[in-house]
Amino acid sequence: MTEITTGTLSANIANQSATKSVNEVSHAFSESGALAKAIQGFSPRQAQTDMALDVAHAIENESSLIVEAGTGTGKTFAYLIPAFLSLNPKVPKKIVVSTGTKNLQEQLFHKDIPLIKKALASNAQVALLKGRANYLCNYRLAQYQDSRGQLDAQMLQDLVKVKTWANGTQSGDIGELVNVSEDSPIFPFVTSTLDNCLARDCPNYESCHLVRARQKASDADIIVVNHHLFFADMALKDTGFGELIPKAQVMIFDEAHQIGDIASEYFGEAFSSKQLVDLCTDVLQVHRSSLTDVKQLGLAAEKLQKTCQEFRLLFNYDPERGNWREKHKQPQFQQKFANLKTDLDFLYQVIKLCISRNEAIDNCFDRAVNLLAQYEVMTNVESFGMSFWYETTPRSVTLHQTPLTVSDKFNTVVKESGAGWIFTSATLAVDNSFDHFSKHLGLQGARQLMLDSPFDYQTQSQLVVPRYLPQANDKNRALKLAELAEPLIKASKGACFMLFTSYRVMNQVAEILASSIDNPLLVQGQMAKRKLLEQFIEADNAVLLATASFWEGIDVRGDKLTCVIIDKLPFASPDDPLLQARCEDARRQGGEPFSQIQLPQAVIALKQGVGRLIRDVKDRGVMVICDDRLVNKPYGQTFLKSLPDMKRSRDIAKAAEFLESLTE
Amino acid sequence: MQTQVMFYLLNDEISKDKNTAETEQDTRSAIYHACLQASHFYRQNQRVYIYTQDKQHAEQVDEMLWAFDSDSFVPHNLVGEGPKSGAMVEIGYQPPQSRRPVLINLTSTVPNFANQYQFIVDFVPSDETLKQQARERFKACRQWGFSVDNQPAIEVET
Repeated sequence: MTEITTGTLSANIANQSATKSVNEVSHAFSESGALAKAIQGFSPRQAQTDMALDVAHAIENESSLIVEAGTGTGKTFAYLIPAFLSLNPKVPKKIVVSTGTKNLQEQLFHKDIPLIKKALASNAQVALLKGRANYLCNYRLAQYQDSRGQLDAQMLQDLVKVKTWANGTQSGDIGELVNVSEDSPIFPFVTSTLDNCLARDCPNYESCHLVRARQKASDADIIVVNHHLFFADMALKDTGFGELIPKAQVMIFDEAHQIGDIASEYFGEAFSSKQLVDLCTDVLQVHRSSLTDVKQLGLAAEKLQKTCQEFRLLFNYDPERGNWREKHKQPQFQQKFANLKTDLDFLYQVIKLCISRNEAIDNCFDRAVNLLAQYEVMTNVESFGMSFWYETTPRSVTLHQTPLTVSDKFNTVVKESGAGWIFTSATLAVDNSFDHFSKHLGLQGARQLMLDSPFDYQTQSQLVVPRYLPQANDKNRALKLAELAEPLIKASKGACFMLFTSYRVMNQVAEILASSIDNPLLVQGQMAKRKLLEQFIEADNAVLLATASFWEGIDVRGDKLTCVIIDKLPFASPDDPLLQARCEDARRQGGEPFSQIQLPQAVIALKQGVGRLIRDVKDRGVMVICDDRLVNKPYGQTFLKSLPDMKRSRDIAKAAEFLESLTE
Repeated sequence: MQTQVMFYLLNDEISKDKNTAETEQDTRSAIYHACLQASHFYRQNQRVYIYTQDKQHAEQVDEMLWAFDSDSFVPHNLVGEGPKSGAMVEIGYQPPQSRRPVLINLTSTVPNFANQYQFIVDFVPSDETLKQQARERFKACRQWGFSVDNQPAIEVET
């Protein structure tokens, strides 16, 4: 265990007169404590207890704490137990636990928390709160049934399932609808967005699932949310909300390495052609169903829709991200962008004439007003301290204005909250320092704790950088990558991921492997991500080829995944406009963008990757990085010092031997 | 400028393991000390060429250097990979492509490009035959007019 601050916490705590909750926490983790009684095979671990004590301390003193807890430390219990023990019926307290994804939220809510409640015999009220898009909107479901046109068979089937379920559901959480595919096109029609929600004007307000879920959350002692929801709330990006933070005395962030970027996103602004098109769709619906007399409504909405499409067509066909400031300078973009304004203005004028005729059109009016304001933000591309960038999907363009730093804002929120803030993840430190993380969020004063993983990485894993790799731009690179992958795939009998930074190389390698190995090949783009993963787990001997971002949030346990081959160190693309803006900003302040921004980001990404390969004391695996910069650049040291201490080798044959020994 | 050569005497003590041949032990020991020296010169910001007998030998050095403790990390490459002008430390069995101040010689003779270097590191193994070859190299260095010296290699636990 490495502790950054001097002196062990137990000593600190002794000095500050051991309090009741601290004693309770130590006891809960002890040999005879609550955990040992409730969980079979529980044995106290120093790292876990240390973390729990630090968490208890931060809760009690309303201070901030940053903890890196290596995979396998048991960090979930180490923050949940002190959180539960800090609850006191006489002094009501509210605790927010925020994590990275909906799946992790559900795991906490349905698995970990019930176990702890039982162990501690706690009757604390716990609520699960997800984002708006996860709740059935009764109003929109009713509207959709009235006005829908022809549906294809699948949509009709899904609609019937939604309706049947809607009659019985308590929570309205669409996650319950297991028999409708997650990406079914039905969902946008039966859930609401911030834009199309009628809020208090809604005739179905009384039965609104979202309102109820929020009410429940507001009454609960412990609320489980995700980072996006948390920051939407914090930046007041969802009106009638902003209720979580003022009420909470403890904020716990798991997977905290993600929150820097998420915070930036929510402290920024976005303006999307999809919002415009959605507005048009809704206006047209109102026009067709109730305001049939106002012909101009239809005309104005159709005109704007068409201009939105034209605006999208100015950008490259393939989805991309880029610098909006630069695009905004070009005449053809300026012209079309100005047309958007003209058409939106016209629509706004027409809607204005219909105000108060019904709730739906009033809602459209509010949206038009907001969109006009957001439009203005995107025209002021000269504002300082901001990055202006765009992102395209096949059908839409979103313009973003993102602040380059959120540390001031976040620091203010933390200071003024009077709450204890706990940030934890398996991957926060770079080269044994939390500077990267704490600077980004303005948390320099926070207490820091670093706990090593209990895994024996030297025997469980290998980190291999193959010899004589071709240069990054070598035209035979794909062939070479396929050649070195073959013996590894053979040795591991599939159970292998290959991750690429470019689709082109991925597809080339896939083509070569298709003729050289017999294992089933799963290639990103063949089917939905979830489907690919399901097939990978089912198949046993499959090889999955995907782009590097695919890996985020994937959990494949045990011998299903023993070999991960990465084609390049996971540096963010230098073309990324937000990254460029941050680097530029760092340079202007006399800093070094590479070591301050790009390197830490890549280190965290690679650490995440290793964490996914070795998840358990029994897991074994090989990580092959086909990027010799790790060996020949001085910054290779930063990577090595930040990663778990895996056995290092440059010998593919040895790696294959190791893999073979696993499948014997 | 006169080339300085330092011969490090490899410790006889480590040859106690009966299962491995003495020459094999000597090779390992020389590679290990070559890595230590490379780490030392890298930290002085000096570029190093490690000259080896053959390809396999070069790869052994590469393997050990890569597995070195991360605190003593040495950015390096084999001839035939990596950046065009080579990393701070380059390992090869071919004559060097670029000029560097430091040569670590792991071959049995003094290479004919030795006088390019300001500083040469060499090793004296404990096996008799190998030791004799080292003596020859020592002599050869003198004949080149280099300033030659020797000292015991210090065993460091990494």
